[in-house]
Amino acid sequence: MKTAIRRQMTINTEVMDLLNEQIALEMHASASYLAMASWCDQRELVNSKAFFYKQAEEERAHGMKIFNFVNDAGGAALSPAIPEVNNEFEGLREIFETSLDQEIQVTQAIYKCFKAARNADDFASEVFLQWFVNEQVEEEDTVRSIIDIFDLMEGMPLKMIDERLPTA
Amino acid sequence: MEILSDVTFNIQLKKHTFCNYQLKIDEKVMTLTFPQVLQLRNKVNLLTSAENLENIIENENFVLLFIADRKHLVFLEIPKLLDLKEELAYCFSDF
Repeated sequence: MKTAIRRQMTINTEVMDLLNEQIALEMHASASYLAMASWCDQRELVNSKAFFYKQAEEERAHGMKIFNFVNDAGGAALSPAIPEVNNEFEGLREIFETSLDQEIQVTQAIYKCFKAARNADDFASEVFLQWFVNEQVEEEDTVRSIIDIFDLMEGMPLKMIDERLPTA
Repeated sequence: MEILSDVTFNIQLKKHTFCNYQLKIDEKVMTLTFPQVLQLRNKVNLLTSAENLENIIENENFVLLFIADRKHLVFLEIPKLLDLKEELAYCFSDF
């Protein structure tokens, strides 16, 4: 029976379950970024809104990348339920801080999947997840740099800070 | 393993052909494709989470489970549900 299952799928089942949780997390992050983008859009914070719309797309693309991988490896990718998303924020700085927390949470979850793949000798999943490990370093760094701008420009009008923020 | 070849269990999942699996629950025999086996594993894992088990015990104390893309409906009490979980976990363990 074990050989039979091995012929049908290459992915380890525990790793598959964790990757399905990861899909849900990435999709939730995407929805959350969309709420942030909308908040910025309503206040004409042009650069911030562009940044968050792009982040929303990116997170969804990450989720889809994992989704396709799970199915390609013979597993069953599950379309996730998205829990409620917060649409209320106190200010732009708070939004970016929330965004950093979210990225850190995603990074930790990726590490969990990576460790599980390594422990299960699931080499294909481990190699696949390496891209995400690097990607998360980049993502966290981008948000940290933005929060640094807030620190440097403390006291300046919000619109002026927004003009100095990257859009990607 | 050879020793167990003649023993029949109440719940048993066996490979039938290359892409078909046979699930036997008591007298009922069902044929499942591999994606259906995966789906069943997911359903059973969800149902047997601590929170859901507690919920089942507090209410009907059984589950009605659709299997193989709703071709079959089975009645499972908690011990049998846990047996099914174990059988599925065994099939997927360390392949």
